[in-house]
Amino acid sequence: MRTLLTVTSLILALPSFAADALTDADEIVTNANLASYYAGADGRSEVRMIITDSQGRQQRRQFTVLRRNVEEAGDQQFLVVFSQPSDVRNTVFLVDKHLERDDDRWLYLPGLDLVKRISAGDKRTSFVGAHYFYEDVSGRRPSDDEHVLVETTDDYYVLDHTPKDAGTVEFASYTTWVDRQTFLPMKIEYRNAAGDVYRRVEVTGVEEFDGHPTVTTSRVSDLQTGGKTDMQFRFIKYDVGLPEDVFTERSLRSPPREWLARPKD
Amino acid sequence: MKPWLALLLLPCLAVAQEDDPWADEDWGDDEWADEDQGMVWSGFVEGALGTRFSEDPLVNQRETLGDLRARIETEWQPENLTVGLKADVGYDAVESEWIGELRDLSVSFSRGKLDAKVGRQVQTWGTGDLLFLNDLFPKDFVSFFAGRDDEYLKAPGDAVRATWYNDTVNADFVWTPIFEPDVYLNGERFSFFFPLAGGNVAPEPPLRAECPDKDFSNGEFALRLFKTVRGREYAFYAYRGFFKQPSALTPDLRPTFAPLNAYGASLRRPAGPGLFNAEASYYDSRDDRSGTDPFTPNDQLRLLAGYEWEAKPSFTVGFQYYLEWTLDHDDLIANSPFPEFEPDERRHVLTNRLTYRTGRDRYTWSMFTFLSPSDRDFYIRPSLTWRYSDEWTFTAGANLFGGDEPQTFFNQLADASNIYLRVRFNY
Repeated sequence: MRTLLTVTSLILALPSFAADALTDADEIVTNANLASYYAGADGRSEVRMIITDSQGRQQRRQFTVLRRNVEEAGDQQFLVVFSQPSDVRNTVFLVDKHLERDDDRWLYLPGLDLVKRISAGDKRTSFVGAHYFYEDVSGRRPSDDEHVLVETTDDYYVLDHTPKDAGTVEFASYTTWVDRQTFLPMKIEYRNAAGDVYRRVEVTGVEEFDGHPTVTTSRVSDLQTGGKTDMQFRFIKYDVGLPEDVFTERSLRSPPREWLARPKD
Repeated sequence: MKPWLALLLLPCLAVAQEDDPWADEDWGDDEWADEDQGMVWSGFVEGALGTRFSEDPLVNQRETLGDLRARIETEWQPENLTVGLKADVGYDAVESEWIGELRDLSVSFSRGKLDAKVGRQVQTWGTGDLLFLNDLFPKDFVSFFAGRDDEYLKAPGDAVRATWYNDTVNADFVWTPIFEPDVYLNGERFSFFFPLAGGNVAPEPPLRAECPDKDFSNGEFALRLFKTVRGREYAFYAYRGFFKQPSALTPDLRPTFAPLNAYGASLRRPAGPGLFNAEASYYDSRDDRSGTDPFTPNDQLRLLAGYEWEAKPSFTVGFQYYLEWTLDHDDLIANSPFPEFEPDERRHVLTNRLTYRTGRDRYTWSMFTFLSPSDRDFYIRPSLTWRYSDEWTFTAGANLFGGDEPQTFFNQLADASNIYLRVRFNY
């Protein structure tokens, strides 16, 4: 199969990536994880969400995300600072993401000056009312699932994933369409025990920033209720030099203005 | 445009929006487009009504909550400073007076490893959930019992806060130059137990406890040393000031605040599927270390242990055990004119919090229960919050108190059991 592909691609003079189609599911997942969550040594982005419920009513969220890789493909830190709507303004969410143990997560509620800690289980629940989950924000550990490469198309690797511990998640399995060129998962469909797709995440826009192909718009749809959340990323910058101490309790009470400010260029 | 044309175009427009949700850039301000975000004004307007289940013979009105208030909130960042403002104005129909409360008017700045905040501010630390051991910042229990938003449990104080962040250990220091007591039960909204009367009272005019002289030597000092190591949060605390409740009596039998030193420690860490917390505090009642003065509270040891976990998706369960151990209890009883009304040597309190969020957090079902097996009393706080939209939030709830004996903390409020409704518009 591989030989055939190579020959075909030579004949058709396809871009070289097509020639090197990967066949190892774990390797594709590793690359997809790196492309989705680890671009650069660190990064910042501003995010907007439009949450639309089944009756068409909309809610909005706006926040800035700072992210730092503690190690490549390893532990990471996230700081999320909300600016809209007004009842969550200045609410800050801090994540210490670990591969070897549960993530540490804190939420700062400015009205009470309260640093609230969020228990580890709380992952596949709505992130600030959106159809996105907490886990979608900081990424799901590749080691939590078994991966199978089911198809390689001209554009995508199609993979099926089943959870190793089915008791901790609401899905029975999910399928991803990973772009062969960028390794960004362009579509993810979650199936329930009956095999029906009930939740879909789609990437609708990709642009390159500092050499990294980056998702700029995406949508998650709840196919059972008809609700959806659209997410838009802007003012994206990588390798801004975020120091480790930006991701501490200090930033909960006094968000780091220097690093949250929009990049000049 | 002719109206019929608009009608024809409408489906097309709808389709266009469906394809690109970002075409409609109606975000209420220009934050996305403009780098200089300038001053943003926000806040809310809220109406709140609450009423007792039954009459309190000592308080002549049945209503326990009747607020109409507007919150104004902004931040201004000249140079490296941040000036914050958070103020409520409105009318309180239960106490028949205007509301004018500054919750925050402060200047913050950072210099290297130091963060400072000077001015009026709300402050919180410690690990307890609605139980406070080392958090000796002012609390407003009247608002809490009346069913105002949880935010109002924390009362603002005028203070200087300096936090020094450091690799070895972080240090938090708060100086409140003029003693800021809790907002305590004074008989205006709720009657309260008074040992000299042998029962509940609702004095007219309302009780005003004798405050320490407004003197810098009577200021409050609070210190916290804290550090997080591999997800485990350790903290040590020290406090010098006064008991925040008027639990002492002056020689002429007026309620007042006894001098207090407190020393404590806490731990919060992940454990199993959830979070475990433990906290201890030793209350050193400076004016009655022997415990023989019946008009001054004794030393106390306060202990807390809690566990919280997500039992099912969006369903969080928390339990706490809390002990208030009055030291030299024999001396207290031997010297007290009202030994029958003195606290038990060990006051045990159990709490339970159930939180269930449905409809992607649009609905929050909550119940918090305090239960004291030793005092044989309870306090239950059920509530339902409906976040209808980014603007409108509706909350309905109740505060239910009961017990066996007149002098216990929760049962003194038995006639204050109430139900309330709040409607808030965020802008």
